[in-house]
Amino acid sequence: MTAIQILIDGFAISALYALGATGFTLIFGVSGVLNLSHGALMVTAAVVAWAASSELGLGAYAGAGVGVAVCTLLTLATYGLVVKPIDRSRAIPPEEKEIFILTGTLLWGIMIQEFIAYLFTSNAKTVRPIVEGVVVIAGVRTPWNQIFTAVICWGTIALLWVLVNRTRTGKVVLAASMNPRGVTLLGFELSRIYVAIWLIYGVLAGIAGVLLGQFLGVSPYSVGPLTASAFSIVVLGGLGSVSGSLIAAYVVGYLETLTAYLISPAYRTIPSLLLLVAVMYVRPQGLLGRR
Amino acid sequence: MRKLAPAATRRLVRALLASTVLIGSHAVTSTVQAADPIRIAVIAEAQALAGASIPQAAQIAADEINAKGGIDGRKVELVTYDNKSSAADSVRAFQRAASEDKVHAVIASYISEVVLALQPWSARLKMPFITPGAASNEIPLNVHKDYARNKYSFHGYLTSKAQSQAVCDAAKAILVEGRQMKTAVIMSEDAAWTKPLDEGYKECLPKVGLKVLDHIRFSPSTTDFNPIFSRIEGAKPDVIVTGISHVGVQPTVQWRSQQVPIPMIGIASQATNATFWKETNGATEGVLFEMFAAPGTNVTPKTAPFAEAFKAKYGNYPSYAGYTAYDEVYYITDAVRRAGSTDPDKLVEALEKTDWEGTLGRIQFYGREDDFTHSIKYGPGLVSGMMMQWQDGKQLAVWPPQVANGKITFPSFVKAGSAAN
Amino acid sequence: MLHTLLRSPLLWLTVIGLGLAAVLPLWVSGYILGLLTVAYYFGVFSMAWDLLFGFAGEVNFGPTFLIGLGAYSAGILNGHGVPIALCLAAGAAAAVIGGVVLALPALRVRGPYFGLTTVVAVLILQNLIVVFAETTGGEIGLTVPDVISIDAATNYWIALGFMTVSGLILFAIATSPVGLILQASGQDPVEAGALGFNVAKHKLAAFCVSAVFSGLAGALLVFYMGTASVGTLVDVSVGVQVIIAAVLGGRRTIVGGVLGAVFLIAAGELLRPLGALSTFVVSAAALVVILFVPAGLLGLLTRQGQRA
Repeated sequence: MTAIQILIDGFAISALYALGATGFTLIFGVSGVLNLSHGALMVTAAVVAWAASSELGLGAYAGAGVGVAVCTLLTLATYGLVVKPIDRSRAIPPEEKEIFILTGTLLWGIMIQEFIAYLFTSNAKTVRPIVEGVVVIAGVRTPWNQIFTAVICWGTIALLWVLVNRTRTGKVVLAASMNPRGVTLLGFELSRIYVAIWLIYGVLAGIAGVLLGQFLGVSPYSVGPLTASAFSIVVLGGLGSVSGSLIAAYVVGYLETLTAYLISPAYRTIPSLLLLVAVMYVRPQGLLGRR
Repeated sequence: MRKLAPAATRRLVRALLASTVLIGSHAVTSTVQAADPIRIAVIAEAQALAGASIPQAAQIAADEINAKGGIDGRKVELVTYDNKSSAADSVRAFQRAASEDKVHAVIASYISEVVLALQPWSARLKMPFITPGAASNEIPLNVHKDYARNKYSFHGYLTSKAQSQAVCDAAKAILVEGRQMKTAVIMSEDAAWTKPLDEGYKECLPKVGLKVLDHIRFSPSTTDFNPIFSRIEGAKPDVIVTGISHVGVQPTVQWRSQQVPIPMIGIASQATNATFWKETNGATEGVLFEMFAAPGTNVTPKTAPFAEAFKAKYGNYPSYAGYTAYDEVYYITDAVRRAGSTDPDKLVEALEKTDWEGTLGRIQFYGREDDFTHSIKYGPGLVSGMMMQWQDGKQLAVWPPQVANGKITFPSFVKAGSAAN
Repeated sequence: MLHTLLRSPLLWLTVIGLGLAAVLPLWVSGYILGLLTVAYYFGVFSMAWDLLFGFAGEVNFGPTFLIGLGAYSAGILNGHGVPIALCLAAGAAAAVIGGVVLALPALRVRGPYFGLTTVVAVLILQNLIVVFAETTGGEIGLTVPDVISIDAATNYWIALGFMTVSGLILFAIATSPVGLILQASGQDPVEAGALGFNVAKHKLAAFCVSAVFSGLAGALLVFYMGTASVGTLVDVSVGVQVIIAAVLGGRRTIVGGVLGAVFLIAAGELLRPLGALSTFVVSAAALVVILFVPAGLLGLLTRQGQRA
């Protein structure tokens, strides 16, 4: 009984982690950027979806759409207003670009977080679920919303796979993530690839954010933990490796769920943090890292 | 983004912002006035539902007093500070209130951790200080233990112990006698105020006929409550008794989406706020929570008029801390009038003799010899609780009968015992 | 080379700044002094961080791991009746021990991995504080029985003195030959190693020095405020403030951290009438500085902006 419940719960949570981390790792793979405003983008999607559907009364579907759209725009703004200027800046020496992008995106995330708290208070919000009700699977009462979450996450990841492997744009993006210089030699403009990849990232983060808002709810306080969990999943899986992140998401998701059910919800994150430290000492490049 | 802001939130925030700026600028010019105003600092969590009502409610009280000519010709002036729910920011604001803004008394915070951090500063700076919403027993116990030092702090809300008793009293009437329930699980967040609350629950629940099967404390940063509900269901209790304040939306929504068949009753601060229905998309339907004053109830003749005045001004009903903050401005200024001075020691002495009919009931403080020195008295004829329930977007009082304006009912997925008659 | 460039204008600015700061209690209220007291301790956090980043080239995302270790060790010991002076020493020692435990393995990894290890250290410390709530006070926080002084001016001078001494020592280390080796190993560890320098040993030493000052400042801050809590001393967001202060003030300058910390606290206070939006505006201002004046406030003052 508990075993099945852990299996079901863990699957949905892990699917959500996987989707959240995919965009994050894609950006790192292509442009070497670790975006520390990641959590803020996800929270924006959820809070906007909540505001649109509950406060403005647009309904669940339109609300979710508005949430994803706003998140995508904000993600593009993150690139245009923070990442790109730092990348182009001549006053910052190349070896320090990394710390500037980390600090810059972190500040950007804090700005978003504070602005959301200003408009909507810091209390948690939950997005009206698109599907309601429960279904009993092998004796476990499972909300339809949980199944819906897992299906949409995997559907989106599958679509992304098709995009990357079956379309021209996708193939260029894939090539860019493996060898950015090589792609420019082939005559592709790297800056346009960057915009495309940030756009994809925005949509992924938006969908993940709205689903999270429906499933568990978010508040401005979720910003930090969300960024941290995406960061650790991506490092665990190997920076820049999408399939590595997917595996890592499931490892972390199930480890947390097991701990919460079998030991105590209070210890939820500790084993995954210890695992992360252990992996970093034994295999710093992560599970499927290339370095 | 800005366009998407709901009108109500924006109005509320603007009003708050405008009042802060106004008060700030007013403070500078006010020194030229003839009669020295009574200055009260309000330090609160402007970004949290429960805290946002504190400065707003205090402002209504101050405006009302000033409209009637003030206290012996002295106007009441508020200086408000946003403490961002942080103890460090609160201490800073408290120091500023005392040394820069020269206030005569401080109303501060609904969070016990913050109030406990301010208590030593109130002793050091000899600044009369009162909380509108923190519950920890430690606050009045500290006054009792070291009266000479800590006598400047007052506890303008009920202790966790009194609150657990209020929940037990209600549970006895509506669950044990009304629905023949026999067992309970305690579920509370890990915080300063819930320690004595849980102790109180463990002591009084068995006395009223509810056997405690399990006791779960979780971190306030918990987001996934499914494992907790699963463990509770495993214990098969008739009811979940809650102690939650920092969390509220997430457990409520997950209780609903998981269709946990066990009703929830207890202290749920966020549920006391009128916007809780919207925040949870109606998932709070059927949730039972304790309040000491609420809109549409006639706890005292002052309760409903204040709630309506608050709604007219800010677009929403106040949170629980709004009622207490409103009363506090009144009885602090009344104490100033009786003391004939704003001298801290005289003010403390006058506050101790408070006997004020407020929105919560009749307000008196426990004395030096009582354990809970300077906490407001709990009991019939003083301040006693009401069990409220969210029903179809409204907070209705379902117990006790003399103030009730609704009947208890649960959503269909909840198995709520069997009616006694 | 850097130090000779910086020395002349910086020295005078520092001396004038310190002189003004020392007589400040004659002019301003206890409240302003209270603000600056906290700012000075944060200044030390930032300077200690800068030694590690600006000179050893390691991005420590978890300065609060060291700060928190110092603060909590001191606070817990004081709760058991240990006098303040011993608690301070124990706080600094605990930070160094923790720092070594963290640094020995962490320095094997580089770049984002090192950064992540340090963040994870903070998260684990935070979890442990909550789990062992009986001793640490958990999420509620720890109240210490003693404070150094309740007089605002005394506290202010202690903070100022501590900051000045820390700044001098850190600056001396940074501009000494050891600092140059650190800088070299930060920029090109392979070449520095090839020149015969023990890169790991130097970095470990830098980590320890950073830990001593972080831990000591953390412990002092506890005895100033009378409380220690996760939200004020350990949370990742506190560490972020330390980093922002250092980058804002001017990285690789050591003293820039103080400037950044004072700026952050002063800006927060000036913008207080904005209420909830003040943090938003402060972050936006910091972002603008990082984007347009990457050398930081100190760079602006000493007109090093274009070259840094």
